[in-house]
Amino acid sequence: MEATGRPPEDDDAVPIFGTWRAIYAAVVACALAVMGLIALFSAWPY
Amino acid sequence: MSRLDWVVLVAYLVAIVSFGVWAGRGNQRIDDFFLAGRRMRWWAVGLSVMATQISAITFVGTTGQAYADGMRFLVFYFGLPFAMVTLCLTVVPFFYRARVFTAYEYLEKRFDLRTRTLTSLLFLFGRGLSVGVTLYAPSLVLSVILGWGETSTILLMGGSTIVYVIYGGNRSVIWTDVVQMAIIWFGIFLCFGMALRQLPAGFGLGDALAIAQTTGRLRVMDFSPSLTAPYTLWSGLVGGFFIMLAYFGCDQSQVQRYLAGSSLTQSRLSLLFNAFLKVPMQFLILLTGVLVFVFYHFHTPPLLWNVAEMRKLAAAAPAELPAVQSRYEAALAARTQAAEAFRRGERQSASGRYLAANQEVEAARRQAIGLVEKLNGGQRYNDTNYIFPSYVLANLPPGLAGLVIAVIFAAAMSTLSGEFNSLATATMVDFYKRYLRPGGSDAHDLLVSRLLTAAWGFFACLVAFQAGRFGSAIETVNRFGSYVYGPILGIFALAVLAPAASARGAFWGGLAGEAVVFWLVWRSPVHFLWYTLIGAAAVFAIGLAISAVAPLERTPG
Repeated sequence: MEATGRPPEDDDAVPIFGTWRAIYAAVVACALAVMGLIALFSAWPY
Repeated sequence: MSRLDWVVLVAYLVAIVSFGVWAGRGNQRIDDFFLAGRRMRWWAVGLSVMATQISAITFVGTTGQAYADGMRFLVFYFGLPFAMVTLCLTVVPFFYRARVFTAYEYLEKRFDLRTRTLTSLLFLFGRGLSVGVTLYAPSLVLSVILGWGETSTILLMGGSTIVYVIYGGNRSVIWTDVVQMAIIWFGIFLCFGMALRQLPAGFGLGDALAIAQTTGRLRVMDFSPSLTAPYTLWSGLVGGFFIMLAYFGCDQSQVQRYLAGSSLTQSRLSLLFNAFLKVPMQFLILLTGVLVFVFYHFHTPPLLWNVAEMRKLAAAAPAELPAVQSRYEAALAARTQAAEAFRRGERQSASGRYLAANQEVEAARRQAIGLVEKLNGGQRYNDTNYIFPSYVLANLPPGLAGLVIAVIFAAAMSTLSGEFNSLATATMVDFYKRYLRPGGSDAHDLLVSRLLTAAWGFFACLVAFQAGRFGSAIETVNRFGSYVYGPILGIFALAVLAPAASARGAFWGGLAGEAVVFWLVWRSPVHFLWYTLIGAAAVFAIGLAISAVAPLERTPG
């Protein structure tokens, strides 16, 4: 059964980062940085 | 709750339900009811995706878990950003361009009808059980506030949510979620700030973290390679990755949210939005639970958080309870004294004394829990979910307590509404319109969709009645999901990644994978975070092997 409403579009501009590759790289870099910060937080001698 | 709290709670609920009804007006067809006319922008869908995942359980269960066990549960979310990127690169374009209502419709196009039916059934089974726990958690809060039984509060919460979902459809769900998420973020910062502010004078965040660290509650990274240890870095990163892949890629409650995007770009952005924000948000929520733990070093926590069970115990064991209570209070006093030393910078010398006192506190609690379990005929007792609501009601100022409770309620209702909506969609599109009545009128289809929503709401109530005995709510939801996510993910992996996979391979591989997961659940000590990965791998391997044996069954991708 197919949705019959508005036809799909996939040509919207990619905001801020310009390309999908740049966004994906930013997500992965951000995730690794957050994990590193959490490891630091966890081990910090308070 | 004070009168002001009640005013805030009632006003909030009336406003949000009215807004949901207003935003969801004008549903004429099931495209509108289930997919919001496919006109939504990424930020609205992204917030809705987030709100669907963050229910009241996130507050009640996660904070309680951090209080009792620490922050190691955070690793569960480590695989999420990577899963989001993977999904944007793989299944999201497939779903969007196939113009489907449910993720499982795609499987009929790729394989055959029985594979679609099997996968949709697995979703209905896993999500149907989970939604009961999602309903249970806020009902629990209500039972603590009103002093009612959980049965009454489950019926009240479930009933009011069913009414709201029946009217609103997906557009209502998404717009309500947008408002909810703004308020949920406010609630998170409010609770964190209040927990910090209520520490004794001169006792800073560093001192609080030092105490939490001494008990191991700040430990997030466990590098153990064990498959049976809970929440290791690897189970979170690898196992969590596959769970998130299955949840956001194959679970209709999430797929339906981003299928409402006005373009493929909008749908992708909604998922990446979550990839950025989810881990920091869970960190903040868990840290709030840890701060509540430290807070109760300087305020007396109850021996048991479930007030009703405590009353029952007091009546049933009048001779034994006072002794346990005295032991508990003495241990608490010793722990407070040891904790004071942290403020004076004497952590090194006080650590041993503090740990001994803390262990004695936990031993006294275990003794009380043993009495409750004996009283209840050996039934397992777990009061983790009562901790945070009890803290909010006892310690937040009038008005703010009501607001936090209102946030928990409304967030739960919007999550429930999305889940009822998706369960009804799968039942309607994959079964009713596929097998029973393909050519119904718009009015007929809308009516049946609403009846199915009501039926799933009723089923959720039945599951919720049993949910209290399963333990931490957040863990239970994820555990139920992990029973079926592996086989579902494995079937989708065969569809997208293996052009050689046949319909017979996908179907029988799916059944065999489910058998493997059930064997893991009942016969092995493997932690549930690994079920999805193992289940998906089993389906993929068995499915490919069967496909190789029956190559003529192959269906072109």
